[in-house]
Amino acid sequence: MTQFTSLLPIIIVGSGAIFLMLLSAFSKLTIKELARITQTIILAALAIILMTLFDDSFSYSVYPEIFHNMLTNDSFALLFNFIFLLGALLSIYIGNVYIEKNKFFTGETFALILFSLFGMMLLSMATEMITAFISLEIASLSIYVLVGLNRKSHKSSEAVFKYLLLGSFGGSFFLMGAAFIYAQTGTTQLGEIANFISANIEQDMTLIIIGGTLVMITLVFKISAVPFQAWTIDVYDGASLPVTAYMASTFKIAIFAIALRLFLVDFNLIQDIWDQLLVFLTVITLMVGSLLAIIQNNIKRMLAASSMVHSGYLLIALASTGISGTSAAPSIIFYLIAYFFSAIGAFGLLSYVSWDTRRRATYEDFKGFAHIHPRLALMMTIFMLSFAGFPSTIGFLGKFYIFTGAIEAGYTFLAIIGVLSAFISIYYYFRLIIVMYFYPSKHEALVLTSKITPTVLALIALIILWGGIGTGLISFLPGANGFIEFAQNSIASLFITH
Amino acid sequence: MIPILSTMIFLPIVTTMFLFMTRSPIVIIKYAALLSSLIVLLLSVKLFNNFDATSSLQFVEKYQWIDKYGITYHIGVDGYNLMIVMAIAILMPLIYLTLWKRNEKGYWYNLLLVQGAVMGATVSFDLILFYLFWETMLLPIFFIMGLYGYEDKIYSTLKFTLYTLLGSLLMLVSILYLAVEHYNLTGTWSFLLNDLKAMPLSTEEIFWVFAGFIFAFGIKIPLFPFHTWLPSAYATAPSGAVVVLSSIMAKIGVYAIWRFLFFLFPQMLDSFAPYLLAPALIGLIYFGIGAIMQDNIKRMFAYSSGSHLSLILIGLLLLNPYGWNGSIYLIGAHALSSGGLFLMVAMLYARTNNKNVNELGGIASQAPLFSIFFVFFSLAIVGIPGTSGFVAELLIILGAFEHSMLVGIISATTLLIAMTFIFWMLQRVIFGQTQKSTENFYDLQKNELVALVPIALLILIMGIMPQPFIEKFEPTITDNLKSSYILEAK
Repeated sequence: MTQFTSLLPIIIVGSGAIFLMLLSAFSKLTIKELARITQTIILAALAIILMTLFDDSFSYSVYPEIFHNMLTNDSFALLFNFIFLLGALLSIYIGNVYIEKNKFFTGETFALILFSLFGMMLLSMATEMITAFISLEIASLSIYVLVGLNRKSHKSSEAVFKYLLLGSFGGSFFLMGAAFIYAQTGTTQLGEIANFISANIEQDMTLIIIGGTLVMITLVFKISAVPFQAWTIDVYDGASLPVTAYMASTFKIAIFAIALRLFLVDFNLIQDIWDQLLVFLTVITLMVGSLLAIIQNNIKRMLAASSMVHSGYLLIALASTGISGTSAAPSIIFYLIAYFFSAIGAFGLLSYVSWDTRRRATYEDFKGFAHIHPRLALMMTIFMLSFAGFPSTIGFLGKFYIFTGAIEAGYTFLAIIGVLSAFISIYYYFRLIIVMYFYPSKHEALVLTSKITPTVLALIALIILWGGIGTGLISFLPGANGFIEFAQNSIASLFITH
Repeated sequence: MIPILSTMIFLPIVTTMFLFMTRSPIVIIKYAALLSSLIVLLLSVKLFNNFDATSSLQFVEKYQWIDKYGITYHIGVDGYNLMIVMAIAILMPLIYLTLWKRNEKGYWYNLLLVQGAVMGATVSFDLILFYLFWETMLLPIFFIMGLYGYEDKIYSTLKFTLYTLLGSLLMLVSILYLAVEHYNLTGTWSFLLNDLKAMPLSTEEIFWVFAGFIFAFGIKIPLFPFHTWLPSAYATAPSGAVVVLSSIMAKIGVYAIWRFLFFLFPQMLDSFAPYLLAPALIGLIYFGIGAIMQDNIKRMFAYSSGSHLSLILIGLLLLNPYGWNGSIYLIGAHALSSGGLFLMVAMLYARTNNKNVNELGGIASQAPLFSIFFVFFSLAIVGIPGTSGFVAELLIILGAFEHSMLVGIISATTLLIAMTFIFWMLQRVIFGQTQKSTENFYDLQKNELVALVPIALLILIMGIMPQPFIEKFEPTITDNLKSSYILEAK
């Protein structure tokens, strides 16, 4: 595999973004046609990644260095890029009604989606801190704008302002941290930092520790861990639903891509220093997130708050990596996959049924939903069960791996706290199921025109079930068994030295 | 050669999925449900006949499921779960028959799903597989209770769901802890019951792991301090859910204590049994008195059911052959008699729309056939001689006296309490003056009769000729008692 072929997916996405930007300025294509072009671009990139994956039959091997080791295209990056592209593609498919009916979606929207995609893909491939920072900012900036698309809505404007200010402030810590690390190690290359640490393990590491802590602040800010959570609910709520679906399902995953690279490989030897801090963050994130989720009446806000709780579970796994267990790191990737499908399904379904922005998606609005739209209600139930970690869904296995990893690392109490917040989460997820099924319907059936959206949603629901119970009996379909194998291989690919 | 057990688990589930996909009309759903459950019954009879009492685990099916973590699809039948498998297979078609007039599709789908799930939980020998079925069987009950329940249904459904899920989640931590310890010890992942048993853990570790399990099982049974979901759930749930809850799920809770706790921690049995025996005894008395106090007939039987489950648990905790054999037999006997009785309570409610014992009465003169069966099942519940309950309770009380005088006296007296409240209830409901709500009481109909007669016959057969049934599981129990630590220590 040459440099060029491994760069091809991001080249396609990046130039596609610029092309779309120009196209929407100079041509009079309808939004539908633009959406189709975007889908084609993403599909092309996806196809190349899939070809690479099948080519190597998803094992891990040494990959060529790109741009003097500033980027890499290992299994880890390939898996993450695959998820991002899939996320963008599914968001556009699911949101097609919403995008067509609401006037604030223009051609530039798709350009922005591709730009953010470009940033996230670059981020997962970055093996150098400045590159990582630049890609993080490319992704963030595009998402800030996407959040504020609906200029006429006060909520949306408030959200973008909050996100922009806090996000840029939070992002700057990363740069500061990189500077500190450079000051001591003299390099910003990820592999080199690891070499420096292992060569000088006896010496004072203060600057690296300060730098690492600052970098960590940015990362926990972006995954909305408490106490950096203040923006989350308003931003999720203010953004239009397809954007929320896209952002919730992919952006957090991108952050974990760089976090895993940094903490598994580079700070591996000195990771113990942050353990206390991570444990503390985990506990308060789980607790505060759960409380915030309980008190919400709007489902979009509830899902936003519950995304903090999911960050909390991921932090459990992050705290458990590196000590003695080997199962914690792959469990993060598996959980991200599980969360990805559940989130895109749930937000996507919300965007499908409330494409009219005047309609709010409260629990009240969903009363008796199952009696008028039984199939959509069934899908929503599956998404909720997966979020709650109910067995026979992929969400259960996600939690299962994380808790196993935590116990293996000696953090049994974190597993218990995780289980307790899973218990609390039953309340707010089941509340939606109860509202949908156990109350008589007060609303008339919605006029739902799209045929694509329900099909895609049903497909996601099936993936969630298959990921939870799937066996190896059907070998070409990666079931519960296959997903964890992917995750383990991609983690293993991180440790290949060039 | 078809895999009998897998068919018994998945036939109802696959049937449901097929019916749901094809959007079949309700008539077809009913016949399909009945047909699939009859096939399961047929298979279970075959299983019972081919069951070899002298050997241990049979009809084993074992496949890798998630091999990276050693999670296995491992199912089988032995002397312990044979009775529950039979009870599920016999009761489910009868439930379908009595509910024949219900025309809600969701009700039927969920009943079919729960049938598959409880069967799966009963025969699982892998802890994660068991956990999967254990949790999944809750979901259909959740929907049945919430969709088709009465009065305060949402409150009691949520309470029941949260209660049981809290227990299961704590159990999950215990399961994971055991598996990780096993991994640390041997370097391989496994969730098989056989691999995880008798792990060399410290007493403190065992205490916490044990506590996680007992939470889950205690809530499901329910054991005394965990029972508060029981009365409201039984009172508001529709009859299909109540029968499944009391006749099947609660029994699986007791069975699970046996299968998992006793199997995983044989070394700790002697020290833990007394601490569980105390709440079980309190439960026996408390639920017995609670039953007398109730005017609501469903709540009354909820308490009575709780009382009998405590008795089953006591038999189990006595740790002697009488107690264990009696317990297993009572699992089967009580499943049948309580199933019959709850089905009849449902019929009673459908006819009168009244659950208050004081407002019922005079049924005997209106509906003689109904009254005969109702009296029969009530007496079978308390275990008068000639019914299956008698044999079981006798064994347990014998065991209790062998264990200690005090336990023997308490158990025996409580059975008398049960006797009094059943007679009092019968006097008020069946006999006495005809009241407003029982004026137009019609007698049993064909589908109801077809459902009740087999249960009644089976109760009689099990009461008069217990030998063929007991000898199916007795060797397993004696073997296990002999080989385990318990008898050696004494």
